[in-house]
Amino acid sequence: MSATNIRAQLSDSISAVLSNKIAGRELRWYLSGWRLGIILLVVCIILPFVLDGIDPSLVTTSIAIGTYIILALGLNIVVGYAGLLDLGYVAFFVIGSYTVAVGTYGFLQNAQGKSIPIPSFSGQLFWLLIPLAALLACLFGILLGAPTLRLRGDYLAIVTLGFGEIVPIVFQNVPWFFGQFGMSASPPPDVGPITFSDPLNQYPFYYLTLALVVLVILGVTSLRGSSIGRAWIAIREDETAASVAGVNLVRTKLMAFGLGALVGGIGGALNAAFVSSIAPSDFNFNISITILIMIVLGGLGSIPGVIVGAIVLRFVDVYLLGKINDAVHGLPLVSGSGAPLHFLNNVDFNTAKFLIYGLILMFMILLRPQGLIPDVRRKRELQGIGASAEGASAVGLLEREEAGEDEAGGETTTVGAGSDAQGRED
Amino acid sequence: MPENVLLRLRDVKKVFGGLTAVDGITFDVNQGEIYSVIGPNGAGKTTVFNLITGIYKPDGGEMLFEGQSISGLSPDRVLRRGITRTFQNIRLFNNMTVLENVLVGQHSKIPGNLPSVLLHLPNYQRAERRAEERAVELLSFFGPSLVARKDDYAANLSYAERRRVEIARALGSEPKLLLLDEPTAGMNDAETGEAINYIQRLRSEFGLTILLIEHKLQVTMGISDRIAVLDYGRKIAEGVPAEIQRNEQVIEAYLGRKAAVE
Repeated sequence: MSATNIRAQLSDSISAVLSNKIAGRELRWYLSGWRLGIILLVVCIILPFVLDGIDPSLVTTSIAIGTYIILALGLNIVVGYAGLLDLGYVAFFVIGSYTVAVGTYGFLQNAQGKSIPIPSFSGQLFWLLIPLAALLACLFGILLGAPTLRLRGDYLAIVTLGFGEIVPIVFQNVPWFFGQFGMSASPPPDVGPITFSDPLNQYPFYYLTLALVVLVILGVTSLRGSSIGRAWIAIREDETAASVAGVNLVRTKLMAFGLGALVGGIGGALNAAFVSSIAPSDFNFNISITILIMIVLGGLGSIPGVIVGAIVLRFVDVYLLGKINDAVHGLPLVSGSGAPLHFLNNVDFNTAKFLIYGLILMFMILLRPQGLIPDVRRKRELQGIGASAEGASAVGLLEREEAGEDEAGGETTTVGAGSDAQGRED
Repeated sequence: MPENVLLRLRDVKKVFGGLTAVDGITFDVNQGEIYSVIGPNGAGKTTVFNLITGIYKPDGGEMLFEGQSISGLSPDRVLRRGITRTFQNIRLFNNMTVLENVLVGQHSKIPGNLPSVLLHLPNYQRAERRAEERAVELLSFFGPSLVARKDDYAANLSYAERRRVEIARALGSEPKLLLLDEPTAGMNDAETGEAINYIQRLRSEFGLTILLIEHKLQVTMGISDRIAVLDYGRKIAEGVPAEIQRNEQVIEAYLGRKAAVE
């Protein structure tokens, strides 16, 4: 049987399954929009019981994945929707993490290295720390955004990159936060019979993570289809036209930055409560890049895409690499001292993370630049439909060019760019 | 007459490096008028539009709209005062649908406070529904064909249709003054005829005042109440179409330029 035959049969049987009727509706109807969401939610609720049966560490892995789903969805607001390249997103993760640590630790350190007690958010007050972390991160997002959002593209990327580097360093060098040793954070308090502090029972944490992920998904979904989401996309497409159509550029961009940061703060809070010990060295540029790769892999601007991107990369990082490492080191060809591939014993596959990310990114850009589950608009942008759809591609290109120069002139009073634009118009 | 003035420009200047693009331009646009700005290439017409709509900041002079200064306001604030525009090289959001484009034009009409939007509170939902109805209404101004294409991506429309969507987007903010930058550029005679028709209808049906940049004499002479002629960033003539056609300086500006090129 040829491959085409198999494929034809397969697609036949898939459509046969999809057109199966359940209670008078086609299966396809159940797999669209919010119904699919509910089905997936039910799956996620049952999931830990299944995972526990396969490998208990998979439940912990899912919690680690959940944190990054939150972070990726947050960065997606900034990069995917508003088109502002933020390379320092880790800053908000740090702020969220330290908020929970400071809030639960009960001590700060003075300049002489002495611990001084401070009031802590003990007991059920803990839950206030999550919104507080979100608000603080949001505040810093706005503080960073206010002076820098006039910058574009590469310049904004560099400034945000700097911010991402500075924030962990501040936590390392300001005396209060115990420098490089970092701080420990308490897990959430027991709620009735539910306890978060039992290392052998990760279910409560799993469901806490799931709840926060669902909350963030609901939030970003709501924003995406709203007037604010429209304004973000308009800005990404053509800033000047958006501004002339009544979109307040500063306010709208700040909103993207602030909300992205807010979500990052939630991710940070969850992270601190879960890992329970944080230090400045845990937060570096690699995290910003990893989150960015997640959303590029999944599909910029696409909520399901970003979620899948986060799941794939985080799963590789937290679970798969370790398993590959153990498997390879356990091979008879590798293990014994005289084994022919003994040198592989010295290779730690866990450190190959960025090699693998790099390869994934390279193949994605070559084979599927729009991402795993692309956003409709992004796909179109990448295929250049927007630029040359009028059939007269030369005209389209010229328009783009002029538009670009117009913007350069319009943005500031940059003399060179301005006179350039002037030369072209009229 | 003076209390009739909607937009007043007094001695407005714009300098780019060594080039004075707009060199002290003064004119008044009256309520309900179709006022055209013409002139050779590089005369500074589009720069004047960019100054009025806040894309550029003026280097001198004053601009009053309904008696209040609009100098130095950002484009979205100029829009809230009641001025909006279209662009010479149509600037639609290509990867948004026609409907979404027109909805962005109504951005100033929809409550923008985060809780309303995030939670889709009733006041937001109402505004959004109203905006959608209004968008369809605005599209139907150009006939049923554009309404039928409201869910198509803007990039997939024909050139003339794109022009219309851009005007519909501009109308979404319920402007008092509409600036059209070469609305018939790139159109054939039939399409130009339609454009002339709907520009006049914009005034009669929406009560708009229209400021127009146009090269085609068929358009400017046909529908303008008054015309200003710019050359090298200065206004060299102003008057009703018949006066402009006879004006020596205007003929010289056009023919002189042409002769120099040859």
